[in-house]
Amino acid sequence: MELQASLSLIAPEIVLSLSALALLLIGAWGGDKTARMNSIAACIAIAFCFAIVAPRVCAGVGGPDAVAFFGQFKADAFSGFAKLLIYAGSVAALLIAPNYLERVGAMRAEYPVLVILATLGMSIMVSAGDLLTLYIGLELNSLAAYVLAAFVRSDSRSAEAGLKYFVLGALASGILLFGMSLTYGFTGTTNFNAISTVVAGGLSGGAMFGLIFMLVGLAFKISAVPFHMWTPDVYEGAPTPVTAFFASAPKVAAVALLARVALEAFGTQVDAWRQVVVFAALASIIVGALGAIGQKNIKRLLAYSSINNVGFILVGLAAGTAQGAASMLLYLAVYVAMTVGSFVALLMLKNENGDQLESISDLSGLRSVSPVLAFCLMSMMFSLAGIPPFLGFWAKLVVFQAAVDANLVVLALLAIAASVIGAFYYIKIVKVMFFDQPSGVVLGKSDGVHWALLIISTLVISPLGYLATSWFGDLAQRAAATLFLLS
Amino acid sequence: MSDARLLILVLALPFLGSILAAFLPTRARNAASFMAGLIGLIASALLLSFYSTLATGQTVRHVAPWLPSLGLDFTLRLSGFTWLFALLVLGIGTLVVLYARYYMSEEDPVPRFFSFLLAFMGSMLGVVLSGNLIQIVFFWEMTSLFSFLLIGYWHHNQSARDGARIALIVTCLGGVCLLVGMLLLGHIAGSYDLDVVLGRGDIVRAHALYLPMLILILIGAFTKSAQFPFQFWLPHAMSAPTPVSAYLHSATMVKAGIFLLILLWPVLAGTQIWYLIVVTIGLATLLVGAWSAIFQHDLKGLLAYSTISHLGLITLLLGLGSPLGLVAAIFHTVNHATFKASLFMAAGIIDHETGTRDLRKLSGLMKFMPITATLAMVAAAAMAGVPLLNGFLSKEMFLAEALESQSGTLLDWALPILATLASMFSVLYSIRFIHQTFFGPPPVDLPHTPHEAPHWMRLPIEILVLACLVVGIIPTLTIGPLLQIAVRSVLGDRTPDYSLAIWHGFNMPLLMSVIALVGGVLLYRRFGGRLNAMTNSPFIGRLKGRRTFETVLAALIDGASALHRMVSTKRLQVQLRILIVVTLAAGSIGFLTYGYSVGNGPTIMLDPIFAVLWILGGASAIGAAVQAKFHRLAALAMVGVAGLSTCISFIWLSAPDLGLTQLLVESITLVLMLLGLRWLPQRLPEFWPGGRTPFNVRLRRGGDILIAVAAGLGAAAIAYAMMTRPEPEGISRFFLEQAYHGGGGTNVVNVILVDFRSFDTLGEITVLAIVALTVFSLLRRFRPAAESVELPVQQKVQNAFDAGREDREHGDTAAHYLLVPRVIMEWMFPIILTCALYFLIRGHDLPGGGFAGGVTASIAILLLYMASGTRSVEARLNIQPVRWISVGLMFAVLTGMAAWLAGYPLLSTYFSYLELPLIGDMPVASALLFDIGVFSVVVGTTALILIALAHQSIRTPRAPKPEKAPDKIPDMEGDT
Repeated sequence: MELQASLSLIAPEIVLSLSALALLLIGAWGGDKTARMNSIAACIAIAFCFAIVAPRVCAGVGGPDAVAFFGQFKADAFSGFAKLLIYAGSVAALLIAPNYLERVGAMRAEYPVLVILATLGMSIMVSAGDLLTLYIGLELNSLAAYVLAAFVRSDSRSAEAGLKYFVLGALASGILLFGMSLTYGFTGTTNFNAISTVVAGGLSGGAMFGLIFMLVGLAFKISAVPFHMWTPDVYEGAPTPVTAFFASAPKVAAVALLARVALEAFGTQVDAWRQVVVFAALASIIVGALGAIGQKNIKRLLAYSSINNVGFILVGLAAGTAQGAASMLLYLAVYVAMTVGSFVALLMLKNENGDQLESISDLSGLRSVSPVLAFCLMSMMFSLAGIPPFLGFWAKLVVFQAAVDANLVVLALLAIAASVIGAFYYIKIVKVMFFDQPSGVVLGKSDGVHWALLIISTLVISPLGYLATSWFGDLAQRAAATLFLLS
Repeated sequence: MSDARLLILVLALPFLGSILAAFLPTRARNAASFMAGLIGLIASALLLSFYSTLATGQTVRHVAPWLPSLGLDFTLRLSGFTWLFALLVLGIGTLVVLYARYYMSEEDPVPRFFSFLLAFMGSMLGVVLSGNLIQIVFFWEMTSLFSFLLIGYWHHNQSARDGARIALIVTCLGGVCLLVGMLLLGHIAGSYDLDVVLGRGDIVRAHALYLPMLILILIGAFTKSAQFPFQFWLPHAMSAPTPVSAYLHSATMVKAGIFLLILLWPVLAGTQIWYLIVVTIGLATLLVGAWSAIFQHDLKGLLAYSTISHLGLITLLLGLGSPLGLVAAIFHTVNHATFKASLFMAAGIIDHETGTRDLRKLSGLMKFMPITATLAMVAAAAMAGVPLLNGFLSKEMFLAEALESQSGTLLDWALPILATLASMFSVLYSIRFIHQTFFGPPPVDLPHTPHEAPHWMRLPIEILVLACLVVGIIPTLTIGPLLQIAVRSVLGDRTPDYSLAIWHGFNMPLLMSVIALVGGVLLYRRFGGRLNAMTNSPFIGRLKGRRTFETVLAALIDGASALHRMVSTKRLQVQLRILIVVTLAAGSIGFLTYGYSVGNGPTIMLDPIFAVLWILGGASAIGAAVQAKFHRLAALAMVGVAGLSTCISFIWLSAPDLGLTQLLVESITLVLMLLGLRWLPQRLPEFWPGGRTPFNVRLRRGGDILIAVAAGLGAAAIAYAMMTRPEPEGISRFFLEQAYHGGGGTNVVNVILVDFRSFDTLGEITVLAIVALTVFSLLRRFRPAAESVELPVQQKVQNAFDAGREDREHGDTAAHYLLVPRVIMEWMFPIILTCALYFLIRGHDLPGGGFAGGVTASIAILLLYMASGTRSVEARLNIQPVRWISVGLMFAVLTGMAAWLAGYPLLSTYFSYLELPLIGDMPVASALLFDIGVFSVVVGTTALILIALAHQSIRTPRAPKPEKAPDKIPDMEGDT
């Protein structure tokens, strides 16, 4: 029966929505003292979804078997791969938050609920097989994210971040929606595969407009240049665990969604969007690299770093091939590990009173205060700079390889040149930590969860990570291949 | 164990040692050095065991599949040449370990040093043993990273930190260039496997991408091998501990670039462009390095520039593109590694035992450290190219090749002269190094009293100098076979005949050698004394690579910050503007590329009245936008006008149902907004000094209006183009056809709402209920700020009037405020309610329905509240909104579930017509019951929100905040 098959395909989403509702009720009755318990329950729910999705990714499911609700929803390996990363990012956001939020007096029972709702939205986004599904997922995620950004209500920076994110995000959503309606108007369908069939014969001017406006809306969500301006403000203003969340999971979701729109719906017209993506990629890499140089706040720096990384991810997308999509997925995977690790390390920088430190100068001489923390952060920075033996090198490698194989040599060259500038500020952080006089500010103790997450992410990006690359690369490739299956 | 497995072991050993050393206690100097030395020895021994295999001309390969789909395998490859190079890396590495044991002081965390050193050794071995292009880059970058850590090992030293940073940035730059170059090479050759690539030289050289690929790879190699103009990082890396310099700048780090050029020589070399670039760069480096070396006062600085010069020499040889040049390059690489390592170590001993490396302070050390002096002299002689030493042999080959060069360019005749000149410089600085340090009067003012170094510290130098001698005297018996297999592995069938004999008879190269030697000695005699006084290298002293580098870096940072300040903003308004403008620009590009055409569909006949209506609506919308900032009430009123014109448009375009609903929704939302308005802080009127709005503000506002108008017109134009094209086949036809037969209603919209898509409606009314509850719970504890519930000015005036008269009581006038409208509104209440019921009942067939009815009923309640005031309404009327909501939801759900009882899916409808006296035909569909649910929910919802708002007026305001320093007012307008 069609309905049952569909329901079984959306099992992770069902689990997520039911657990969000249940946790909301528990929170409503139990009050904020249930917050920690709710967080754990949320982690378990997401881990459960992880367990549901993982086998499907390993099996490389794709094609008609993975289509639910008459093509509206696709539970193929591509979405599965993205979902695994999203779930990992969400669990990290749930784990690192309680300590931070309790300290600023803002740990509420709603936090895990909002994270789950955002996760649900992302889960739907990456599985979208239809413009409407896309929009539902995107908005569900965005609305939860707006609230999360402003979660520490007593902090004016957080409130400002939430407001900015909301106003700009709403405008971007509007543009996206306009693009979607144009696409529908000129192609006569909202289904990705059907759009792809219609535009295969040639892209009409109107559909081109639709595509452009949709790209604008999605570029905002992945904070690609020139729609990146909100990123540093929101990243700086939002509570750090929320920033870590923003920088990891939603990026994955938005990029995967963009890939779906570009490669699935408009995959037969690669030339129509390639220039836009190439421009956004280069601009993001350059602006991300240059913007980071002058920053004094680590969160702002990481914001620019994420813009920079999005550029590299877009290089993979610009290739427009299955290889490019696979390289994009791999880059995302490494990126999530690096981002989570960096933000956890940032959360562990506390002064003697236990207050958070965010300034780069506070890092100076960290090596002599906390060698392990400094070493882990150094690994993150070198990995972000793409220096072997850390895994970041591999991520950059696969992306560039895809670009070169797609004959985008100039793009690869310019991206490389900018990545050298990018390396500069990562190295600067290492220099501050290792070579500068200890400022003696970082003194606070961190708890086990933070340490565990930091060590795990460091291990992932360490040379040990290369042991998994063979298997992981294969997985990503099969996942990317499902994007190109017509179903 | 198979050969391939052994090879893995050779590569893995240094890394294992590195990890082990990292875990040793900080003071375990002996344990760490012993382990490191042992690892070097074992690895060298293992490597030596490959000799017999390689001597037969075979290549050992080990391939482990890694990413077969990307064409990436983990490949280890050992050929004669790489074997020789690996041996150099391991052999000199082992000697450096021994030397470092005595060089490093006990206070230093020595195990960490060895950990880095071993990791570096492993990375270098990785570069040498890799059989895959990407893998080479991987290890290549690792050598950059670990050399950074080694150079910056003494991190308390400012110059060490700077040197490490410069080295890392320059070599990383080269590394990424190399990465792209290698990707391109692999792309061209169709494989990343080195052996495959080596076999496709012809294809590669003929490819269109050959030039970019070549340049990128060369940048990689040149940065690493400190070739002009990237040579500046090397002298700064001299702040490293001397064992590091001895290792990195003799056999390993800087030789990596040379190694790569030799390795890829069969593929890349032989074109005109290769010749031009590589020879020119090599020659420039050779001369610049040799010239600068003469004027250095730091022992290690002199050696550093001499290294640069020798690297330039090797590059030049490779650039010539002749097989004999390659032989000479390989030979000189080995020789240079031997004598330069020993010279660095000797310099380290001098530094260690005297406390200084300044040539101007050193003098007459021969008496204090005779053995070291002798060793250094032999090594320096090898560097200068004195006969019977290894340096002489390779230099002879170089001079011979310089003479042979046949490219047909100016370089042909310049090369021999410049080569002789560079050799002369080389003799000159070698003599200076020796003479200044070891001869002359005894030194004065040295930080330490000089004495001979411990025997074990000298041993590495002794071994290396012995090698220089042995190779120099009996080359064919020692280096001969090794060189032969190395050359053969690179050149294969093209291996030329060459002779390693010391004596070739009287010929040009010999003459040039003699000129260089004699010239060098004469120059030193003539100018040697004056060199100590010079502070700068003449002619090229101004070419400060580092200063350029720092300037470029500073310019980059400043430029980046300036650019960043220019294009980034924290202000929301600007961000919004950019978002719109970029979108507009993207759309405009689309317009320009695709043009604009209206479809064939029916275009709207523009009626003048309709146009006026729209102009009115549009003007109100613009007015609302303008006034939103200054006068919210006016803005709200204009929003109402815009909404109203939309309603009329709906009715005009024959959509009465939509028009009705829009009208009702418009009214209720407007009133609710109006009620909320009073809690917003009052806007202060705009005030500019001089009473005039400044020009820049007007300009900005004008620009914003233009942007807004352009964006609006653009969106409208695109939408119009879309709507005049044939509509996509939607589902509306289905609904139109089925509404009556399937749903029993002629109001298709209503049938859709309560029948076809009633599940959606059920969801929507649930959401509506939740929204109302949320608003209520948000406002339940909300108490307005004191200033926002202050009595309006008019009321205050009236009250003052009342208070001033004897015959009136306070509030009398206010009590009769709006008396007539109030009475009318109270009378209207039952009429509007009846109307609402009418809408509800007729909804299935005619415009109306549960939603419209519900909103109408809410308007009745709303009017009552507005007219009579909260207290008076609630004294007489008990609305229980929550009950309305729950009853409505229950109704809707139960109606839907009733279908189950009849065996139909959820929410299926039953319908028929009931004939009632007086009223006539009355449609009785189960959908009506559902619609009643909708009605009830809508009424309850609106009433709940209304009550939540209304109750604010009877609440005591929040106590005013205690006076405190005014917070910074957020700058919402921004750049005014």
